[in-house]
Amino acid sequence: MKISFLLHNAYGIGGTITTTFNLAQALAERHEVEIVSVLRHREHPNFTLDPRVSLRPLVDLRQDKEHPLYLKPARVFPRAEYRYGQYNELTDQRIAECLAATDADVVIGTRPGLNVHLALQAPPHVVRIGQEHLTLDNHPPRLRTALRRAYRGLDALTTVTEADAAAYRRKMRLPGVQVEALPNSVPDPALPAADGTAKVVVAAGRLVPVKRYDLLIEAFALVAAEHPDWQLRIYGKGEEHDRLRQLIADLGLWNNVFLMGAAAPMEAEWVKGSIGAAASNFEPFGMTIVEAMRCGLPVVSTDCPYGPGEIIEDGVDGRLVPVGDRDALGAALLGLVRDDERRHRAGRAALRNARRFAPGPVVEQAERLFAEAVTARRAGRPVVPDRTPVGGVLISQGFAARDAAYSAASSALRVVRRGQR
Amino acid sequence: MSTEHGTRPRVGCTVDTDGRISFDLPPGPDGEHAAQQLLLRLRPKKGQPEKTLHVLDLKPADGRLSAVLDPEPVLAEGRWDVYLLQGPDSERDRLRPGPRDLRALVDGHLRDRRSPLAVRIPYVTKDGYLAIRTWLRPAHAEAGRVDLTDRSLTVGARLHGAALEEGAVVLLRLRGAGGTEHTLEPRAEADGRGFSFTVGHEELAAATGVWDVFVQPAPEVPRVRVGRLLDDVADRKEVFVYPAATLGGAVLRPYFTVDNDLSVEVTKV
Repeated sequence: MKISFLLHNAYGIGGTITTTFNLAQALAERHEVEIVSVLRHREHPNFTLDPRVSLRPLVDLRQDKEHPLYLKPARVFPRAEYRYGQYNELTDQRIAECLAATDADVVIGTRPGLNVHLALQAPPHVVRIGQEHLTLDNHPPRLRTALRRAYRGLDALTTVTEADAAAYRRKMRLPGVQVEALPNSVPDPALPAADGTAKVVVAAGRLVPVKRYDLLIEAFALVAAEHPDWQLRIYGKGEEHDRLRQLIADLGLWNNVFLMGAAAPMEAEWVKGSIGAAASNFEPFGMTIVEAMRCGLPVVSTDCPYGPGEIIEDGVDGRLVPVGDRDALGAALLGLVRDDERRHRAGRAALRNARRFAPGPVVEQAERLFAEAVTARRAGRPVVPDRTPVGGVLISQGFAARDAAYSAASSALRVVRRGQR
Repeated sequence: MSTEHGTRPRVGCTVDTDGRISFDLPPGPDGEHAAQQLLLRLRPKKGQPEKTLHVLDLKPADGRLSAVLDPEPVLAEGRWDVYLLQGPDSERDRLRPGPRDLRALVDGHLRDRRSPLAVRIPYVTKDGYLAIRTWLRPAHAEAGRVDLTDRSLTVGARLHGAALEEGAVVLLRLRGAGGTEHTLEPRAEADGRGFSFTVGHEELAAATGVWDVFVQPAPEVPRVRVGRLLDDVADRKEVFVYPAATLGGAVLRPYFTVDNDLSVEVTKV
C-alpha cells in the first residue's frame, strides 16, 4: 500500500508528532509511506525520521507568510478547531491540491481539522482514515457539531483509547464508518530495563496545570517523611515551573523533590528510577506511562479519563488511584516504596504487559484496518454495514441536539457581549 | 527516537560504578576495517590552545564499534569534548549523544572513595553534543541533606579520601579580598567520615557576597571543598535549588556553583 499521513507540523515537538513518526516508520518496513506536514517553520524536524519515510511540507512559514492568501481566514478547516488560528486560505488551497493529486491508497488525518479536509476533499479512490489524539468529550460543542457532519465522509476513525471510541459510537451517528481504538506505540527500548533497586520515583511531561505535579509533590511528602532516602524527579518544562519550585520550598522537600528540566528522549532517565508516577486530571492516552512501563517501571497513576485505566492493571503492573486524591496517591507510592519484592514483581509485570504497545502489534492492527478499508472502498461499500439500532439513532440525535444548542447559545452570548462593548 | 536531525553517528555510553565509560557507535560507512578512534579533548579556556588529548581505539563488537575508557588514567578536572577520528589524515567530527546509561551513578554517594577522587559524568552540551564533566581532587566532602530554618543552615556531608581527626574545622570563606573566614566545629560521626555543621544566619549576614564552604579534616592539612559530585547530575545549579532565608536586610541562599561546589550567597534586599 502507499500510505500518506497528513500532519499539522512535523517540525515541532509533541505526542502526536512522536506517535505519527513511530507509526510511519514501522509501516515503512512493508509499505511506501510519506508524511505531509501542513506547516514547516525550520529546516529539519526535531525528531529524526527514518529515511524510508518521505517528508514534504505544504506551507513553509519562513517564506509563505507573505502570500496574499495566507492572511485570509480558512474556510474548509473548521472554525471551532483548536488550531484554527494557524490555518488560512493558503492552507485550505494547498491541502486541497495535495489531496486531489495524491497517489496514495490510504490517507490518514492526524487532528480534527485535517480529518475534515480529508473527509470532504479526498478523491473517491482514496481511503480516508481519521485519527483523534484528543477526546470527543473534551472537544467544544461547536467542534463536535462540525465533526458530526464531516466525519461521515471518513472510512474509519481511530481513537487512542477504547473509552473514546465508545464515546464516538454512542454520541455520533457515523453510518458505515469503522470506529476503532488504535493505541499509540512506543519503540523497543535500547537500554536494559530498570532493576527496581533505585530509590527514585520518576515523572515526565509538560509542567502544565492539568498534569497536577502539585498533587504529586504533595503526595510525595508522605513518602519522604517515611523514607527520606527516596527522591522524586520531575522531567519537563512549562508554565508551572516556578509555582512547583515554591511548593517544594513550602513543603520543605528540597532534599527529595527535583525539577530536572526537559529530557528527550526520556529512556535513559526512566531506567534510573524504579517507580513511574502520573497525577493528571485528564490524559487522552498517557504516553509517558507506557514509556515508563516499557523500561520496567510499575506506574502509579490517577485513574483519569481516558488512558491510564486502559494501560495500567491496578495492583499488577502499577496502581490506579482516584483523581485529585493526594492521600491515595501517596499511599499507593508508599506501598511500592516499602515493599521491594512487590515493586520488583510489578516492574516485571509492567515490562511484560506493555509489550502490547510495541510497534509490532499496533502496526499489525493498523495494517489490518487499512486493508479492510481499501477492500471495502474498491468494492464500493462501507467498511462496516450500518446496523445502528433505532435507540442508538435517538441517543446520538440527543447529543447532536445538545451540542447544537450549546453552540447556538454561545454564539448568542457572543452577540450579546459584542453589543455591550 | 533521537531528537536531532543529522546523519553523523551518535555515540551511546554506559558508565559503571568504578567510573569506567563504555562508548558505543554504529559501524562506519567503510565497514569494520576503518581505523577509527575516539578523541577526548579537555576544553581549553577561551583563547587558550588545547593541550590535553586522550585517544581511544574503536573496536568492532557485535556489528558495532566500541571503546572503553578505563578508570585509569584519571582525567584532569574540566569538560571533555568527544570527537570521532575517521583516519589518520581526516578531519575530526564532534559527536552527538546516543543513550547515556548513567544509572550506576545515581547512588554513588553511598560508596566510599579513596584519594585521589576522580569523577566522570557524561552529559549533553547546550548545543547538543556529548561531553564529559570531570572532577579530580585529592579529597572531597560530599554534601548531603541541607536543612534551612529561620535562624540557621545545617549541612550533612561525608568525607572521601580523608578522615576527620582531632581539631577538624569547617570553614566558610568570603570570596574576594580580605580573606574573611568563619570557623565552625563539625559534629563528626563515629567513622570519622560523616559529619554535619550548623551556621547561624547572623554570622553570614554581616557581609554581602559568596561564602565558599570547606572542611579541614585535621590541623595542618589542606582544606577540602564541600560539594556534591557523586551522582549522575553534571549540572546541579538549576536542579538542586534551596530556598532563601531572610535576616534583617539580608537574603541568604545556599546553592551549588557551576562546578557543583556548595556556597552560600548573601545579598541585601
